[in-house]
Amino acid sequence: MVGPQYDFLGNPLGAVRSTFDTAIASGSDPSSFEGRDWGALPLFHHFLFDQSRISQVPLLTPTTIRSIKPNTLVRFRGMVQDMPGNEFYVGAYKDGSVWRTNKYMDVSQYPIRSSADTRIWERRLLYCVPVPGLSPWTEVSAEDFGNLSLDWMLDSREKRRREDGESSDMHVSCDEVQDSPNAKRMREGEHSSIASHSQEAATDIASSGTSLGYDIGSNSPPCLVKIYDSSESEVKLNDIFEFVGILTSDPELQEDNEDCDLSNGFSEDPLRHFPPNKVPRLHCFIHRKLVIQDFLKNNPTIEPKPDSVKGLREALLRHLTAILGNDDVTSHFVLLHLLSKVHARDNALAVGKLSLNLTCFKKETVSVFGKQLTLVLKNLLPFTFYIPLTVEYLNAVSLAPKKNYYTNRLETGVLQLAEGSHLIVDETKLEAGTLNSVGVENCRLLKNLMELQQVEYDFKYFKMDMKTDTQLLVLSEGKSNILPADVIVPFQPSANNYSEAVTTEVLEAWRWYLATVRQLPHSIEPEMQKVVEMDLVAARQADRSLGPQELSRLLTMGRLMSLSYGETSLSLEHWQMVKELERLRRQRLQ
Amino acid sequence: MASDSSPLNFNNGPSSPDDSLSSPIGNTFSSPGSRRRRRSSTPSAFATPTERRSRFASSEATPTAPRSRQNGSGGRVPVTPTSTTDDLPASSDGGDGYDMDDARPTFVWGTNISVEDVNDAIHRFLRDFREAPSSQGDDDGLHLHAEGKYEKLIRQVIEVEGDSLDVNARDVFDHDPDLYTKMVRYPLEVLAIFDLVLMNMVSRLKPMFEKHIQTRIFNLKSSTSMRNLNPSDIERMVSLKGMIIRCSSIIPEIREAIFRCLVCGFCSDPVPVERGRITEPTICLREECQSRNSMTLVHNRCRFTDKQIVRLQETPDEIPEGGTPHTVSLLMHDKLVDTGKPGDRVEVTGIYRAMSVRVGPTQRTVKSLFKTYIDCLHIKKTDKSRMQIEDAMDIDSGPGRNEEGVIFEEEKVARLKEISKRPDIYEVLTKSLAPNIWELDDVKKGLLCQLFGGNALKLASGASFRGDINILLVGDPGTSKSQLLQYIHKLSPRGIYTSGRGSSAVGLTAYVAKDPETGETVLESGALVLSDRGICCIDEFDKMSDNARSMLHEVMEQQTVSIAKAGIIASLNARTSVLACANPSGSRYNPRLSVIDNIHLPPTLLSRFDLIYLILDKADEQTDRRLAKHIVSLHFENPENMQQDVLDLSTLTDYVSYARKHIHPQLSDEAAEELTRGYVEIRKRGNFPGSSKKVITATPRQIESLIRLSEALARIRFSEWVEKHDVTEAFRLLEVAMQQSATDHSTGTIDMDLITTGVSASERMRRESIIQAARNLIMEKMQIGGPSMRLLEILEELKKQDTGSEIHLNDVRNAIATLATEGFVTMQGDSVKRS
Repeated sequence: MVGPQYDFLGNPLGAVRSTFDTAIASGSDPSSFEGRDWGALPLFHHFLFDQSRISQVPLLTPTTIRSIKPNTLVRFRGMVQDMPGNEFYVGAYKDGSVWRTNKYMDVSQYPIRSSADTRIWERRLLYCVPVPGLSPWTEVSAEDFGNLSLDWMLDSREKRRREDGESSDMHVSCDEVQDSPNAKRMREGEHSSIASHSQEAATDIASSGTSLGYDIGSNSPPCLVKIYDSSESEVKLNDIFEFVGILTSDPELQEDNEDCDLSNGFSEDPLRHFPPNKVPRLHCFIHRKLVIQDFLKNNPTIEPKPDSVKGLREALLRHLTAILGNDDVTSHFVLLHLLSKVHARDNALAVGKLSLNLTCFKKETVSVFGKQLTLVLKNLLPFTFYIPLTVEYLNAVSLAPKKNYYTNRLETGVLQLAEGSHLIVDETKLEAGTLNSVGVENCRLLKNLMELQQVEYDFKYFKMDMKTDTQLLVLSEGKSNILPADVIVPFQPSANNYSEAVTTEVLEAWRWYLATVRQLPHSIEPEMQKVVEMDLVAARQADRSLGPQELSRLLTMGRLMSLSYGETSLSLEHWQMVKELERLRRQRLQ
Repeated sequence: MASDSSPLNFNNGPSSPDDSLSSPIGNTFSSPGSRRRRRSSTPSAFATPTERRSRFASSEATPTAPRSRQNGSGGRVPVTPTSTTDDLPASSDGGDGYDMDDARPTFVWGTNISVEDVNDAIHRFLRDFREAPSSQGDDDGLHLHAEGKYEKLIRQVIEVEGDSLDVNARDVFDHDPDLYTKMVRYPLEVLAIFDLVLMNMVSRLKPMFEKHIQTRIFNLKSSTSMRNLNPSDIERMVSLKGMIIRCSSIIPEIREAIFRCLVCGFCSDPVPVERGRITEPTICLREECQSRNSMTLVHNRCRFTDKQIVRLQETPDEIPEGGTPHTVSLLMHDKLVDTGKPGDRVEVTGIYRAMSVRVGPTQRTVKSLFKTYIDCLHIKKTDKSRMQIEDAMDIDSGPGRNEEGVIFEEEKVARLKEISKRPDIYEVLTKSLAPNIWELDDVKKGLLCQLFGGNALKLASGASFRGDINILLVGDPGTSKSQLLQYIHKLSPRGIYTSGRGSSAVGLTAYVAKDPETGETVLESGALVLSDRGICCIDEFDKMSDNARSMLHEVMEQQTVSIAKAGIIASLNARTSVLACANPSGSRYNPRLSVIDNIHLPPTLLSRFDLIYLILDKADEQTDRRLAKHIVSLHFENPENMQQDVLDLSTLTDYVSYARKHIHPQLSDEAAEELTRGYVEIRKRGNFPGSSKKVITATPRQIESLIRLSEALARIRFSEWVEKHDVTEAFRLLEVAMQQSATDHSTGTIDMDLITTGVSASERMRRESIIQAARNLIMEKMQIGGPSMRLLEILEELKKQDTGSEIHLNDVRNAIATLATEGFVTMQGDSVKRS
């Protein structure tokens, strides 16, 4: 890398500014930078990915937020919950004879005087929340936090040192930038030897009030992300992203700016409802969409080989069978269900979903097996939810997100879920009672989610269908009529209560298995296609009650079955297995 | 352009080269002689623009505002609305001396647009613009002498003492594309000149006219999507479509303030608002007083205008997948206040503006953010989400009323016409209708006809014929009837979807309620009235209570709902098509029974449906194979690749609404002949030669249905004439539907009696024969006062005798019941006694 070195972690704005100055100095017109980068992003890209320093960037979590300093580089992982819209800001302006930029900043450093020499640019606001239903295992463990804060403390110490030595914060001393892992480890050692010192430093910082003092509970903070120069289609509602950017805070912003004309009638500023002391702002440099694999810890980047996958499959299936009281058929269905994913849509039809309804649960069995299953799933899947369905719950809860035009925000609902979430609905708790209009509406929403994988968002004047991909597992006593699932399997445990400790490594392997196998591509050979078609026609001739839905489900099962073996094309063997499984299920239904 | 800016031109001189389009003589009221006089009257007009400021002066520090002030020293006249008032008279004074010698052109700051040029261009436009004759042969001579469109409009405005003149931007474009471009690019400046020229003309027409008239531009050539507004649109004229979601309360905004000295009581001159602020005089202006900080605002002498902030949101169809709707604020002034309510769909023309956000009143630092809003010039309500409500089916609506609704954009119309020219348009539309529903092509074709509808007819005698087509779908559960209904509901204008189970008679028709406060009785419309000129979709028709169903009789033929209760006697229009679906009574359709037996619906109601489709799940290997193939390909191929040749929902909606609105097909002679021939032929089928059995295969209701269907089919092709093949297809559709529903299963022929009375002719004959047989049997076996016989015994006996058709216990019971009414036997429980 040529050119000046930057302190990307501690002073990212320095890099932004100096690249801007360089670009201007080389004769570029500032207005040409509207909607595009002038060379700052490649630097960050290089730093974060080519030098793979991304792990050094502190992650914004409830623990770290209290200690992270403003105007430093942070990472944030979250789901896009709302899009407040675009924001126009003075992108570049002339301060005397010098061009300055406001990109990646909330407040301009220098007063903006003449408006003839200002360029107005645009950035997008995203209101992001931690992914709903995030399992504890996905979060960075305590020791990681320790490391991060250590990193940061080192940083701040260096910064203070630097501030003592140098006046300009745009220039960065060389030893700091050579923050190679080696040097870091060395310094960490140094750090621990002078632990008392660092402790002092930490308290120092806390008292000096540099921390943002976020007023948040134990929950992870939401975050207002401002992204630049991205196309509209890149970020969608309910996507999970990792944002790397500058955390900003400006005490002045906390003032209520009531004085402007437009706030007379009603709130004009969408941000007013995100007070900066509750919702940190992040000016994003780089954002990338996360998939489930990104939440696995030691992401083993091994190819899903059929034989290793087969071993994992057998082990997991054994475990599931044991958890389910030796009910082999049910555990097979549960496995297929866990692998399901909407892979195509044909108009309203979602192809690939496999919602499961386990019936024959009694109150007692639910407390044993239901709990265990919930626990196991929470350990296996990154985003899980458990809804105990009761009349009171249905009457009270707001399942669908709703737009509030007074605050101009999309108020989230239980069903605003990230792609690939798993939802357990426990219907055994449901008793006879009267549903009010909210309850009826909620039932309809659940049914729509089940059948179409769509959630209707309420925009008051109209409803908007949002596509979603949620795995739904219903536990009920008899067949659930509120939630018509694709497959109904009567649950027949033969043993009870089983507990076996599973090591973390095994769990991790299973998580990897579930996350990876799900994503595999799938196809069908022409010969196999013929066989399947013949089978379907024969089945339909034999039983007229088989509708397109049932046939479609059989194919989904076939697909999932071969995926569960890590194979990408349907084989006759797996198709036979599906038919056998279906036969066993039908037997149980009678 | 130099010659154009001469005063001659200003007064409609004949020399203008651009006049070739319109009359060379110009307006009748402008003669050269009047020029002097008018000249002298112009200065009075220049005094008026002081009031004009009201609509733009609200913002503070828009990014471009300063640029106009800076040139106060340089350029001669900065023509911007934010400039102070005395600037403008100066500019028009410049216009007053338009002489050649004063050739220093005035430019709009920062551009090469000459104020004079624009001034003249606008003047020419207002004076000369005439709408292109609608048809070529339209008496041209008369047209030439007619007054210009806008001069006429200005006169109207003066007459009604209005305060705004609506200017169609397309007219501007047609007349002078250059002016249009300038107007869109520099709306603040150009509109200021526009207003000025307008006031000039007004004062010429009516010198004493005091009110100020604003120009309201609308109907820009291109409308922007809210999503695409970006910084480059700031200070430009934009046109947006959206939905109002919130309106603020009305805010009084100060325009002119008057201050009074607390010491001496001296009142200042009105102080105008400047850049959103009013500078309070720090010193009393009266020379004798001159006390400091003594001025106080006199509220009731200040001038205020209404202001309102409205939030506009994108319409749902513009939101991309996975996005949330964008919103934008609108600033409304004066007359525009309260023109829209939340929920209205509107098209807004205005100027996109940005306003910087101050961090605090005392702080110098600016947040570097801008708030954006649209300074509203014109607002037009639209409703585009569904098919047009204004409907050609309604014969009351003359051509004049069509102007109100959404005017279809020309490109769109061209595109629709292009689609309509496809030879396979009928098939394409059929395929596009609910593409996710498998098969059922004939049903879809019927539904398509229902969407397009026939022509309503009202005879001079007062008799009227409905144009709406009613359809009933009967079928097995799980045959996607409800999905079809939902789809049609989404597509149709004023579609109302109800479920029969939850509908009561009043819920469907109208309901009289007492207002809790005033105690007045009011009518509340039910589903059928609400879906006037739309389609009322009724699911689970069979589960509806008889009472509710009986209300439909009137609606489906007379198209009105009559109310007579609680002192209110009214007849409400319910010109609605009914699309109903029903399950067979025994959950699955029993092919051995007739339709009537399968769905327990009164025949009187059934006959009001034009088409009755039976959607049955038949065991057909061919269909199954196709279904299997379809499902397999759904799972293993990219579904996007499979979509072929299907119109999307919005195009389909446009297509249908355009056709309903603009196409009014008439029967051609050939088609009429075919209708007669076909009808006679169907009727003939009922007469079996040599048989006394009279089967009615068609009734006059069918011929009406046929006319409606063939009209709808012509509409599908955007054709003004119903051709012979339309009639043929209509016959086919009707026959397909009848064959399914009205076929007498025992004979295999169509029998309208099935629909009209519920009993087929052959069934009636069979019943007769059973009664006869039973009578004979009883005569033979039983004596009067003798021992009774059980029904089962009779059945056994009858079965022994009868060789032909099968006899059920029920048949026997019915037969005995008939005999009992004759007094031939008495029946007690199961035992029968000869009496």
